[in-house]
Amino acid sequence: MEGWDPNTKSTLTQIPLLTTKAGPRDGAAWTQRLKEEYKALIAYTQMNKSNDNDWFRISAANPEGTRWTGKCWYVYNLLKYEFDLQFDIPVTYPSTAPELELPQLDGKTQKMYRGGKICLTVHFKPLWAKNCPRFGIAHALCLGLAPWLAAEVPILVDSGMIKHKDDATTSTES
Amino acid sequence: MDDELLELQRQFEFAQQAKSSIRLSERNVVELVQKLQHLQIIDFELLHTVSGKEYITLDQLRNEMVAEVKRQGRVSLIDLADATGVDLYYVEKQAQSVISEYRELMLTQGEIMSESYWDSIAEEINERLQECSQIALTELAAQLNVGLDLVASVLEPRLGTIVKGRLEGGQLYTPAYVARVGAMVRGAARGTTVPTNLTVVWSSLQQLLQEIDGTSGLAVEGSFFQSLFNGLVKEGEVLGSLRAGVHWTPAVFVIAQREFVESFFSQNSFVTYEALHKLGIPQPIQFLQSRYPEGKPLVTTFVHPSMIDMLDAATEDALDRGSWSDSLSLLPSSFTPQDASKMLSLCQSVQNALKSNKAHIFGDFYVLSSSFIKDICDRIVKELETLGVSVSAGYTMHGEVQVPSEAKVGHESSRLNESIEMASDGGANRQADKGSRKKKGKATGNTVVNPSESGAENQEPTLSKSKRGQKRGKDTSAQTSDSKMGSRKESVKMKEENLSPSEEWIMQKITALVSDFEEQGVDDPEIILRPLANQLRPTIINSWMEKKKALHTNNAERMKQLLDNLQKKLDESFLNMQLYEKALELFEDDQSTSVVLHRHLLRTVAAPMVDLLLHNLEEHNKLKNGLDVQEASDSESVSLCPADRTAISKSFPGALAKKAFAVVESLEGKSVESFMAAFRMVTEESGLPLKKLDKKLERTLLHSYRKELTSHVSAETDPVSLLAKVVSLLYIQVYHKALQAPGRAISVAISHLKDKLDESAFKILTDYQTATVTLLTLLAASPGDEEHCASDRILSKRELLESQMLELKSLVLSTSQSS
Repeated sequence: MEGWDPNTKSTLTQIPLLTTKAGPRDGAAWTQRLKEEYKALIAYTQMNKSNDNDWFRISAANPEGTRWTGKCWYVYNLLKYEFDLQFDIPVTYPSTAPELELPQLDGKTQKMYRGGKICLTVHFKPLWAKNCPRFGIAHALCLGLAPWLAAEVPILVDSGMIKHKDDATTSTES
Repeated sequence: MDDELLELQRQFEFAQQAKSSIRLSERNVVELVQKLQHLQIIDFELLHTVSGKEYITLDQLRNEMVAEVKRQGRVSLIDLADATGVDLYYVEKQAQSVISEYRELMLTQGEIMSESYWDSIAEEINERLQECSQIALTELAAQLNVGLDLVASVLEPRLGTIVKGRLEGGQLYTPAYVARVGAMVRGAARGTTVPTNLTVVWSSLQQLLQEIDGTSGLAVEGSFFQSLFNGLVKEGEVLGSLRAGVHWTPAVFVIAQREFVESFFSQNSFVTYEALHKLGIPQPIQFLQSRYPEGKPLVTTFVHPSMIDMLDAATEDALDRGSWSDSLSLLPSSFTPQDASKMLSLCQSVQNALKSNKAHIFGDFYVLSSSFIKDICDRIVKELETLGVSVSAGYTMHGEVQVPSEAKVGHESSRLNESIEMASDGGANRQADKGSRKKKGKATGNTVVNPSESGAENQEPTLSKSKRGQKRGKDTSAQTSDSKMGSRKESVKMKEENLSPSEEWIMQKITALVSDFEEQGVDDPEIILRPLANQLRPTIINSWMEKKKALHTNNAERMKQLLDNLQKKLDESFLNMQLYEKALELFEDDQSTSVVLHRHLLRTVAAPMVDLLLHNLEEHNKLKNGLDVQEASDSESVSLCPADRTAISKSFPGALAKKAFAVVESLEGKSVESFMAAFRMVTEESGLPLKKLDKKLERTLLHSYRKELTSHVSAETDPVSLLAKVVSLLYIQVYHKALQAPGRAISVAISHLKDKLDESAFKILTDYQTATVTLLTLLAASPGDEEHCASDRILSKRELLESQMLELKSLVLSTSQSS
């Protein structure tokens, strides 16, 4: 579990673990799995809110629950930078982790694959594999996206690759 | 679609919609509060807690403090600071306002206590007090961990209400206990009859209490007793006076003390300070002086003037009689020498006598009149003279020096003692034994009791007397054993010191002379004898030296005279001796005659000469030693036997003795020559050079001898002795030699004359000689009896001889005239 900051680690341990090992093609097992995913997400969201650390909104984009869309944001220098968030549940899930995409930032940073899929740290994959099937979407967000945002947003803002929407508007207006 | 899944979706939605709680950082909050204060929205003082995480208002703090105190009753400020979490500084500050606000609280030594707390404590104390009947405040204070004063101040208002007891000297007591101890104190105080240090009494009471109470009983403070006692004194329940708070003198004791002093002093007219000290009077002099202004304070005793008058009278009497007095023995035994000395200084007559030099004081309290001292001095000087003679007499007789001198001295002293006995009038029963002259001696067991001593009131007369008796008895036994030894040593010592009287010797003499000193119990003779001896010594020595000097000059004259006489006599007789010696040469060829003649000469001429010499030398010796020798009236007539001679010769010093002995030896021998040599050596040794015979002297001597002989012969009537003289005279005429021949040698001597005389003359001589011989043989044959025929024949022979005498005389006288 090394490689993450203590905050992340403590948060991660508080997210309830999942039990069912099932992919989107497993029918009822997947439904069961999905329920557990929701429970974990609810707990994670409540935890964030109570800690005044709410940073995303997601919802299932299809009834099967294999595609998720939403938003995520990061506060830097008292400014809130908000980005679209989307991802699919892979067929081999939960052995394979979902690939999180931030389409707005596609091409703006090197830590990203084509299509806006974020590059995760070297530690992520082994940890996920070790914890299969106990880790779910909430865990992926907590371990993957939150550290990435904390690391990349300040760089992107400082380098001027992204601009706050107010600034953008003002700059465009002007 | 699963309901449950939908429900979960809705829930998730809802969770995401819910408003997230706002979190402010501490920093933000602090800033906010500061802002509020700045904006005057918070217009009261706000305190931090120690942790720095909380703000607290003063009112809240006060409330919390009061609540804490009320809950616990007693809280220390430090504990309060901990409990409220506010800095001690603010707690202390607020404590002041809390105390002023709530009257039932009190702040002491960093602790806040409520009245109710003290009430409960007081109840506890009361319970314990009722159990133990006494508690020390210190104990309580220690237990409560507060100051003693605080406990006292808190307990005082509650005494009698909550706490039923009495507070006394830092102790709490129940009334019953106080009453009991009070009774003890009263008993003890009433029981004391002598001055007492009260603390001692209290400590014994304490012990008693502890015994009663057992181990549980606490130590009662002395001050508790003291306060109870003071109360008793104030109420008049015990009588007496208290000094310095602790010295209690009961009234009954003071009364007894005064009565004793009163009675003793009035009866005995003195009282010792020691006795007063025993009675507990600390400053006897002041006490007595204030009471008896007429009395006199001495060193250890206070006396009434009548006592001084008594001593004065007695001493004056002694002085008038020309005697001495021991003031101490006149006074009661409790008087010390210093007292006696001081009293003497108060005696009028003694002081007068001292001023007029009629009396001397020795050893503080012995008063001796001048006439008495003079008397002693005279006697000692006299004694010294006699002693000197006796010792010198003893000195010459070497072997027997000690015994006779001692005997003589002893005799002397005893004689003197007797004379003193006659003279002096003091002393009732005298000891018969006066012989001992030990300086420490108190004679033998002395039964003489000093009349004045027995007369005066003695404080412990029997005791002191018996003690003295014992001491005396011991001394006598010890003394008799070594008295002989002592005197012997002393005589030897005296000799060694060459007869100059030492201090000790004088002291001994004084004791011997004035036996009163011993008899009247002079315990330590040193006191009086030494100073007296010191005083006397110079005079004695002076007079002694004078005597000695006179004796010496006298002796010197006599020695000179003696030697002159001796020289003269010796010269004369020695010359004669030499003269006679020459005559012996004639008979050298005749051995037997020569021996006879030698012997004769030694016996008749040499022996008296030697005797004279020895006798005179001995006398000279004595004189030289400074001894007074009786004038030897007839030194000529001395004749000694050989034993005497050797004794005398041995008594001479050194070389002289040896030579003198040789002379005495040679006197017994047969050779005149050897005698002459020895004799010459002796005379040379003793400084008497002898003249040698020379021709001229010989002739004059011969001449005088001849003249003498001639006159003798002409005057001679006895026919027998005439023959010897005639022969001698003939020898002078014929040989010019003086012959001394015994009767036996006469015939030989006559035969020697044969060829020198005429035929007729020789014939006369031989006839006469044969007639004499027959006469003598006749006389020898009939020594005692008066036989007729024998006496007739003797008579006829004598007649014959007498008839021939004239012829013989004429023979000698005519030749002497012709030559």
